[in-house]
Amino acid sequence: MPAAPFDYEAPATLADALDLLRERGEDARPLAGGQSLVPLLTLRLARPRLVVDLDRLHELRAVRRTPGALEVGALVRHRALERGEGLLALCPLLQEAAALIGNARVRALGTVGGSVAHADPAAELPAVLRALDGAVVLRSARGERVVDAGDFFVGMLTTALAPGELLTAVRLPLPSPGAGFAVEEFSRRAGDFAVVAAVAVVELDGGAVARARVALAGVGPVPARLDRLEAALRGERLESGAIRRAVAERPLEIDPEGDIHASAEYRRHLAAVLTARALERAAEAAGRAIV
Amino acid sequence: MAESPAATRERLRVVGRRLPRHDARDKVLARTLYAADWQMPGMLEGAVLRSPYPAARITRIDTSRAAACPGVAAVLTARDVPHNILWTDVPGQTSVVGPLRARVQVLADDQVRYQGEAVALVAAETREIADRALELIDVAYEAQPGVFTTEDALRPDAPRVHEEGNVLATWRVRCGDADTALARAHAVVEQTYRCGLIDHAYLEPEAGVAWIDADGVVVVRASTQVIEHFRDVADVLGLPHNKVRVIGPYVGGGFGGKEDVTVEVFLGLLAYRTGRPVRMVWSRQESLLARPKRHPFTLRYRTGAARDGTLLAHRIELTADAGAYAYLSALVLLYATVTAAGPYRVPHVAVDARAVYTNNPPTSAMRGFGAMQMVLGYESQIDQIARRLGLDPVEVRRRSALRRGDRLPVGQALDTHVAVAEAAERAWAALGPPRAPSSPRHRVGRGLACNLQPYGRLVWLRDWASAWVGLEADGSVVVRCGVPDVGGGQASSLCQIAAEALGVEPDRVTVHIADSALTPLAGTTTATRQLYMSGNAVLVAATQLHDEVRRVAARLLETPVEQVALADGAATAGPERRVLLADVVKECARLGVPRSHLGVYHAPAGDPVDLERGGGRVFPDYTFGAHAVEVEVDVDTGAASVRRHVACHDVGRAINPQSVEGQVQGGAVMGLGYGLMEEIIVDRGVNLTTSFASYLIPSALDVPDVEPIIIESGDGKGPFAARGIGEPPIGPPAAAIANAVEDAVGVRITDLPITPEKIARALGLLSGG
Ligand SMILES: Cc1cc2nc3c(=O)[nH]c(=O)nc-3n(C[C@H](O)[C@H](O)[C@H](O)COP(=O)(O)OP(=O)(O)OC[C@H]3O[C@@H](n4cnc5c(N)ncnc54)[C@H](O)[C@@H]3O)c2cc1C
Repeated sequence: MPAAPFDYEAPATLADALDLLRERGEDARPLAGGQSLVPLLTLRLARPRLVVDLDRLHELRAVRRTPGALEVGALVRHRALERGEGLLALCPLLQEAAALIGNARVRALGTVGGSVAHADPAAELPAVLRALDGAVVLRSARGERVVDAGDFFVGMLTTALAPGELLTAVRLPLPSPGAGFAVEEFSRRAGDFAVVAAVAVVELDGGAVARARVALAGVGPVPARLDRLEAALRGERLESGAIRRAVAERPLEIDPEGDIHASAEYRRHLAAVLTARALERAAEAAGRAIV
Repeated sequence: MAESPAATRERLRVVGRRLPRHDARDKVLARTLYAADWQMPGMLEGAVLRSPYPAARITRIDTSRAAACPGVAAVLTARDVPHNILWTDVPGQTSVVGPLRARVQVLADDQVRYQGEAVALVAAETREIADRALELIDVAYEAQPGVFTTEDALRPDAPRVHEEGNVLATWRVRCGDADTALARAHAVVEQTYRCGLIDHAYLEPEAGVAWIDADGVVVVRASTQVIEHFRDVADVLGLPHNKVRVIGPYVGGGFGGKEDVTVEVFLGLLAYRTGRPVRMVWSRQESLLARPKRHPFTLRYRTGAARDGTLLAHRIELTADAGAYAYLSALVLLYATVTAAGPYRVPHVAVDARAVYTNNPPTSAMRGFGAMQMVLGYESQIDQIARRLGLDPVEVRRRSALRRGDRLPVGQALDTHVAVAEAAERAWAALGPPRAPSSPRHRVGRGLACNLQPYGRLVWLRDWASAWVGLEADGSVVVRCGVPDVGGGQASSLCQIAAEALGVEPDRVTVHIADSALTPLAGTTTATRQLYMSGNAVLVAATQLHDEVRRVAARLLETPVEQVALADGAATAGPERRVLLADVVKECARLGVPRSHLGVYHAPAGDPVDLERGGGRVFPDYTFGAHAVEVEVDVDTGAASVRRHVACHDVGRAINPQSVEGQVQGGAVMGLGYGLMEEIIVDRGVNLTTSFASYLIPSALDVPDVEPIIIESGDGKGPFAARGIGEPPIGPPAAAIANAVEDAVGVRITDLPITPEKIARALGLLSGG
């Protein structure tokens, strides 16, 4: 079915865009790469009166380095992450995660801001943001605020974004040099959203784990961090099997629901398998970095 | 056939060549006008209002607000349809249910029986207005209890989907004494299998345009496998059959989903009511929601074998979910019943099959048509027998493989070559040496599955096809044939056949297809019958023409007719004597010799047979094949992926080997999707899979290169001894994968699709139940 009729504006500046969004409130919907919004429109699951195309807002394409972090503009495309263009190369985790998003067509158009604002529970970038303890920069006509990723994702496809607000950038604290990382995911078919994805970042200190972080997608309404497992791994030495044992010893602190692609039980199982695989590979990479 | 296959191949000039299809270039350059591409001045857009409930009474429909909407030309409900019922007849049913005159309502009147059933039609100036008008139609539904599984439908107190009761059709086969043979068998395997509800998922959803011609004829140009639906359109409108014409453009995939009426009747109604051209294009969601799908079956097999693995007996119970309307269910069930013992000699067979109404989406024709669902049953059973007895999978099949002259359990003797054992051997051997797993967490396994699939329709339908072949004054050739081309190269193959028979290059042949007013009727592009039927009809016409032209050429060349050959657009008698075809045609005109012929081909015909008492011929013939696959299973996630796939079929003769390989590869990939991931999920009648994000079909990245092996036995009932290959290759993959998974990780999956979760559960990786 074609979309329900709507008006279309493509403002030339961020200020104009924010003014439009303030004026039209709940009636307006920003459009970035359109890879999630356009299907919602044609399925008539979204029926905005006005679509505000962000494509001309060049200020949202910037990538900046700040002390200890990378700030990635909302309109940076998945393809740029995948290729590690320019400063993005400073965070190769983005490269690995972005390569797993959808297919080449989706990556050519989809944007960082769109993915994070859309907040699909199975999406990779929100999980990366959680794994790195990142934050999002939100702007409205009234001003700017910065929200931690942990507070930004509120529920399934629901975020802390208020009407009239745009996500302008994501902030990614860079892991210490020598950190290892990995993304492991499982999907039913090539090019699909993951059923479950695991993002792991491991920092070592003399052969023992100084800090391990794991974020999971697809196991609940928002990306989950595994605090108890992370704590248990601290100080653990990484001879073979240690990670698998640590994962197997305690139930993961997740409460997935079943759907047509996987039962709750199978998601829980996949979460454990992928967590172990991601942590092992991240630890191995960290180990190599030390040598 | 007196001539050896090799000698025939040697003699043929055009048949057997890998020719690019004449329609390929236009398709690639987007110049082909598919059904939805057709535009006409003043054309309206049509749309369908569909029931959100799977079982409900309609207590009121108010169309006044929709009709008053500016730009709306017509709003139709059941009351506006002159004859609101389409009938399907299934002659020869040996059933307790009695001869079946099954109904499908055009538009629901007081009762809806499945979610997505059509309730009202709209035609409007634009698609937007039509969609808006649909929202303005006010329908009051009173939800009713429905039945959503065949088990529930068969309970005595179950709500009735139709007044006559929930059993729509039954078939029984009795051959020998299965129970006694099972009691005496050395090894008995008993298992229940389930195969799922799946969609055709063609590239091109249902679409068409209808208009009223100057002479009052209702013309429907629609994506269809059956232009003969002009009769249904006429019956519904209450018009004489000769006042409706159906034109079939090139179709973007049918697979049986465009065998029943789709948009044709709706378009006819809207065009007739408004007097204006109307277009209707269904969305993917609509197609996935509301079109008839493949029958899910429950298959219970008890199979007995001797110590050496020879098959002795099958007792088989089949239950098919027919959904809410009969469509072709009774026939699909018959195909299942006839082929349930597989391509093997089994002396004692008992089959009890029934199709049951539910409030699920209707099910009807889909590539393989009941016969393909059986492969999971008989090939899983034979594999387990081999495993039980420690036999090689090829050896166990070779022991019982059908041979020419053997009889099927329904009593039909096989009177052409039967390549089962050869196909199994060649497919298995082509896998080559096993390959190493890609990680320590993977296991590799192999599986084999053979099949048989009828080509051509039931002999008691007395099938026939006609085609017209003519020579123009310049020696170019015209073929007219009512065959719809659904993308399988149906039209192209006819060019090759006519070119071969008349000694011209295929580019000298133009083929006009699929117009019920202008092309001789050739019947449906279904049942693996078009190359067989319309190919034979073209060959009959072209051969008559050839003989006539040759006689005239002999006069011109002043030689005995036996010395004249038609080749390269000329008639020759030895190297010296030659006359151009164009000149022979002119001479024919001068002499009053016809330069065209109407060829009619009649398939072997017979009366309905009693399957319980000896039976006899049911189908003209069968195509046999075998697939071998190598899978790799991830022992942590349960995911199985197919790494190699060899597909071997005897096609008698490959008219165009490239088209044959295309059919084999396409069918195999479709079978892989069926085996591994495709599933329409219906929760109490509500379809949860109405987009390609939820209904998963394999992409190119999910399947290996399918390696075709084409056997040309030189024996078959089609033109030049060809056998049909449209449906057969979809049969074996699912069973081959199930067999390979057991080989890899030792668990038997009996329910399709074989998802990672099912394997993980069978491996004991999931704790709870
Ligand atoms: C076939 C397919 C497969 C896919 N597979 C994956 C996958 O595996 N993993 C994955 O993560 N994603 C996947 N996606 C989704 C894809 O990554 C989308 O691009 C992404 O989720 C949304 O980004 P977008 O730029 O296209 O946003 P849009 O579709 O334009 O917008 C999405 C939503 O975010 C809002 N929005 C967009 N930008 C902003 C902003 N700057 N501020 C505030 N709100 C904003 C929009 O209003 C809308 O609600 C897939 C999509 C498709 C079609």
